[in-house]
Amino acid sequence: MKEKTRESLYGYLFASPIILSILIFTIIPVFTALYYSFTNYSPLDARKYEFSFNPQDALSMHLGFFPDEQGLTVEGLAEWIDVELFMDLDVGVNLDEEQVALVKQHLDVNRLLQDFLDGKLATEMPLKEFMGTYLTQGSEKFQRYVPKWVWLDNFNKMLHDEYFWISLKNAFFFSIVVVPVQTLIAVLLAVVANTPIRGKGFFKAIFFLPSITSSAAISMIFMLIYTKPGILNRLLGIVGIVPVDWLENPATALPAVMIMNIWTTAGYFMVTFLAGLQSIPTSIYEAAEIDGAGFNRKFWQITLPLLRPQVLFVSIMGFIGCMQVFDQIYFLIKNIRNMTTSFYIYQNAFQYGRMGYASAIAMALFVVILAITMIQRKLVPDEAYF
Amino acid sequence: MKKVLTFVLLACVLVALSFGATTITVSGWPGNPTEEAGIKAVIDAFNASQDQIVAVWEPVPGDFRQMLITRLSAGTGPDIFYVDVNWFDEVAGKNLLLGLDMYIRRDGYDVEDFYASLIDGFSYRDRVYGFPKDFSTLALFYNKEMFDKAGVAYPNHEDSWNDFRVKLEELKAAGIETPLVIVPDVNRFLPLVYSFGGQFVDENLDSAIDDPKTVKALDYYVSLVQDGLAQEPASVGATWIGEAFGKGEVALAMSGPWSVGYLRDSFPQTWEKTAIAELPHGEKRSTMIYTVCYAINRGTPNKDAAWEVLKYLTGVEGQGLWAEKTGILASRQSLAVLDTDPTKTAFYLGAEYGSAWKVETPSGIFSEANTQINSVLKDLFYEETTLDEAVQFIKANYASWVEER
Repeated sequence: MKEKTRESLYGYLFASPIILSILIFTIIPVFTALYYSFTNYSPLDARKYEFSFNPQDALSMHLGFFPDEQGLTVEGLAEWIDVELFMDLDVGVNLDEEQVALVKQHLDVNRLLQDFLDGKLATEMPLKEFMGTYLTQGSEKFQRYVPKWVWLDNFNKMLHDEYFWISLKNAFFFSIVVVPVQTLIAVLLAVVANTPIRGKGFFKAIFFLPSITSSAAISMIFMLIYTKPGILNRLLGIVGIVPVDWLENPATALPAVMIMNIWTTAGYFMVTFLAGLQSIPTSIYEAAEIDGAGFNRKFWQITLPLLRPQVLFVSIMGFIGCMQVFDQIYFLIKNIRNMTTSFYIYQNAFQYGRMGYASAIAMALFVVILAITMIQRKLVPDEAYF
Repeated sequence: MKKVLTFVLLACVLVALSFGATTITVSGWPGNPTEEAGIKAVIDAFNASQDQIVAVWEPVPGDFRQMLITRLSAGTGPDIFYVDVNWFDEVAGKNLLLGLDMYIRRDGYDVEDFYASLIDGFSYRDRVYGFPKDFSTLALFYNKEMFDKAGVAYPNHEDSWNDFRVKLEELKAAGIETPLVIVPDVNRFLPLVYSFGGQFVDENLDSAIDDPKTVKALDYYVSLVQDGLAQEPASVGATWIGEAFGKGEVALAMSGPWSVGYLRDSFPQTWEKTAIAELPHGEKRSTMIYTVCYAINRGTPNKDAAWEVLKYLTGVEGQGLWAEKTGILASRQSLAVLDTDPTKTAFYLGAEYGSAWKVETPSGIFSEANTQINSVLKDLFYEETTLDEAVQFIKANYASWVEER
């Protein structure tokens, strides 16, 4: 082997854990979801040809006779058998129209009944093997579950699905409020944490704490804060505001979750801005101070413009995160009018058994996020100041 | 050294298990500690009764249905598992459960002993796929002390829904802020539909929400909240009905036997003042029956062994032990008659006239319609929509929520 080939082979060998895991857990699922979005894939059907059954029992159930009864003939029994009903109810498999037609035409009833009478059917066999044995042709249609290709049906349905639009609207509303607010707060926190005040390490840790706390735990705490007799209503009660059930009321549920989300993520993005602040040369500030600029002036005219790459990064990451917000919605939102798109995808996939439709919505969400990210990049040219 | 020894012992046990006997896993959601101890006792009793089969209890916390569906899709499901009557049609319709009729016939198993309303819930197209492990019904919990203070007569067996509302109004007038706690859930609203003489779906499995009697029931239910006679648990600072009642925030709650043990343990002071009556009646009596069955995974390689375990779990002996340990309502009438606990009377009576908590749909899946209608009920509670709009919305969209996938 050539030195170069061997070298790259070792390279790939070292990189293989990550290559494989990305391939298995990211690339393949992404393309599988794309494929599923054009089908009516139902996970519960995935093993329908694998189940084994006892053909003798199934036939006995269907015919009402046991093979050892006296005076049974193939011809006599053939009159009793309803092939479609037999497959559907007694064998127990849901077939599509094409498969039903195949079974009606090509199931070798005589052979089946002869084996029944000879007692050859008393052993369990998988459905696909049964079909292979007793179907004179077309048994390849019964070997593996292939979801039906429905072209654009899922996408078409999506366009007319009121709840898809509600969920998308909610996700947008969520992002449009949360992203600017969390970015601004993160910048402010970073600026404050960057000034030489006492105990700034402590503050940094406190601000960062929510983002490393489990989102389930935070959700549970906020659930308590937001309940009707909760602490928020008690505080507001001092000012004379009537208690509101923040999470139960459809009008206040989403804003309540937004506030919590801002609180959780602002500290996380603060770290990004802190790194950005370190890279701004102090000489610029010194020059500004000599010219008599105050804190406000310095913040708006120096700090913020020079943080532009970080702002772009944070707003893009924040936007993607917000459009995909799931866990906090899952824990706190009770009313489907307040759900976001990711939650609707989850509902369809795991609660309503519509994996194909869920995949289609996931694709739509992907396209929306991609488009918005591209627009953001166009609007904010990076490296403009350097 | 100790570790090595434990390991060797464990390995020996595993080897013995895998060669000596067939292992059958039984899976469900974990109950409260009493129920956990109960099921373990039943499983142990089964294992002690013979040496061919070893049954193992594997509870799964969290969303059991979702876990089960994922595992069944992957072909790694447990041998025997819980199936709630509410999503029974979905798994039975996908042919994931083992049909039991051949086994019943072969062994002459006594199915007649189960309450008919329960066994019907676990039949799909006239074939039986599971046996109920127990059941619950809804009844009316009331706080005697609050009634005494307000000078209002206790609810009783004779009360109609109108009498019930009058009593709520009297309680409110006597200064009880929230007389009743209710939730915007289809399964709590259905008994009213049936007792008002209405229907929820028609014979074609379309929505019958616009049936005049159903509309009347809907109006009755949501107006309880709109008129300030009832509130959701969260509004009184509770997470669920039992807690709201236990905290003494409300005088009445419609709940099931699961609240009895909870109240007894968590709110003993409230429990002392609690009595339980049957739900009020309309044209008819009705209540909701909640039940869960043991069913066998159709993909299990050990069907006969699984059947033996199932027979024991739901048989007179197994269920008798289960009922004795946990105090549940027995699904076998021969065991139910032996139960003399007076707090359970109202619940047992419900089994005679109640309906199982399931709604038949073309796809076998009601969950989407359930979410949607719950949301409408909630909107009605808060008057975000009107009764007419709500009825029209449900009527227009119902088919798309329950259609074949």
